[in-house]
Amino acid sequence: MATDTEFVKIACTNYEAMLEDYLEGALSAADAKIAEQHWQNCAACRGALDQAASSVRLLRLAGPSNGPGPAFARTVMARIRAAEQDGSAERAGFWQPLVRLGWRFAATATIVLGVLVSYDAGWGHRAQPNGATARLIGVSDIFAPDPANPPANRDEVLMMVAETNHAN
Amino acid sequence: MVASAPALTLPLDRKGKKEEDKELVRLSQGGTETAFEELVRRHQQRVFALVGGILRRPEDVEDVAQQVFLKAYLGIKRFDQRAAFSTWLYKIAVNECWDYLRKKKVRPLVYEADLSEEQVSRLDGTVSADRPPESASARAESREILDRMLAALPEQDRQLLVLKEMEGFSVQELAEILNLNVNTVKVRLFRARGRIMDVYRRRMESGGRNAGSHSAQRKG
Repeated sequence: MATDTEFVKIACTNYEAMLEDYLEGALSAADAKIAEQHWQNCAACRGALDQAASSVRLLRLAGPSNGPGPAFARTVMARIRAAEQDGSAERAGFWQPLVRLGWRFAATATIVLGVLVSYDAGWGHRAQPNGATARLIGVSDIFAPDPANPPANRDEVLMMVAETNHAN
Repeated sequence: MVASAPALTLPLDRKGKKEEDKELVRLSQGGTETAFEELVRRHQQRVFALVGGILRRPEDVEDVAQQVFLKAYLGIKRFDQRAAFSTWLYKIAVNECWDYLRKKKVRPLVYEADLSEEQVSRLDGTVSADRPPESASARAESREILDRMLAALPEQDRQLLVLKEMEGFSVQELAEILNLNVNTVKVRLFRARGRIMDVYRRRMESGGRNAGSHSAQRKG
């Protein structure tokens, strides 16, 4: 198969579009004159033009492909009507995956919410504090002032701490 | 939903084809079923040619062409008529063909066998006479031989040559349909012509060689 570069060697690149127009008879008289003057002196372009003209003869041998039958338009309209009848179903079909995903998301969210609410209502309150928590509560109690005899000054506070430590 | 179809009373003879198309599009956008049916009738031949030229599979052309018109109908309300209806429709057709080829993963047909001695001499005679074959069977054979040769070209070259020379699309139309610059289409077409003639020459040469070797074998 010829490649682009192989073919560029045959015709002058600047004249290719003009040669195509010439084949089509689409060049103005002035442009046609310029083109003719060029390939009178350019064997490559002359050869390429001959080749292109032969391709027109070759390709037109087959003629156009078969056209539609007489019932084609009616068949198309029937298909359109059928598509319109199925339109809502098709539209639903289009959104169906998103709707399914939405429902799955909603179901998962409901379950998670249910678990959290149950935990908060029952299991959370029933849970017993562990040892570390108990010790912390105990430590914090050391500094709790006696509501009957609150310390009057800094020395009394220090005395209270010392006594509590001694007692422990 | 398609509206009930009022009688189509367009003064079609007084307007240009594009103006008529515009009017038919407007009516179709308003839901007039007969207007769209008229658009189908006007453009079905070209859509068939375009789809047939790209797919090269006659058995699939009708189905894809129907799909093209269905898509056009479904999208016609969004068509703003800045481009010609035909250009818009042909673009839908090209996209539909490419979608189809992609979905079906269709590869271009590859013809391994060379032309027979009889095919070579018949084709050579027809090309030299510069006259299309008269019988339907001869035309079908020419088409098959040309398909074999076109299959040896890059896909874009093949499409351009088929649509331009066999199906009668203009350079301007091809540029619009394929989203290419007009000059690009001309240059590509011109180069594709050189390539198809190169393939033709080589097939003729190998056909001639085969013919020579066959006759030598027969003599032997």
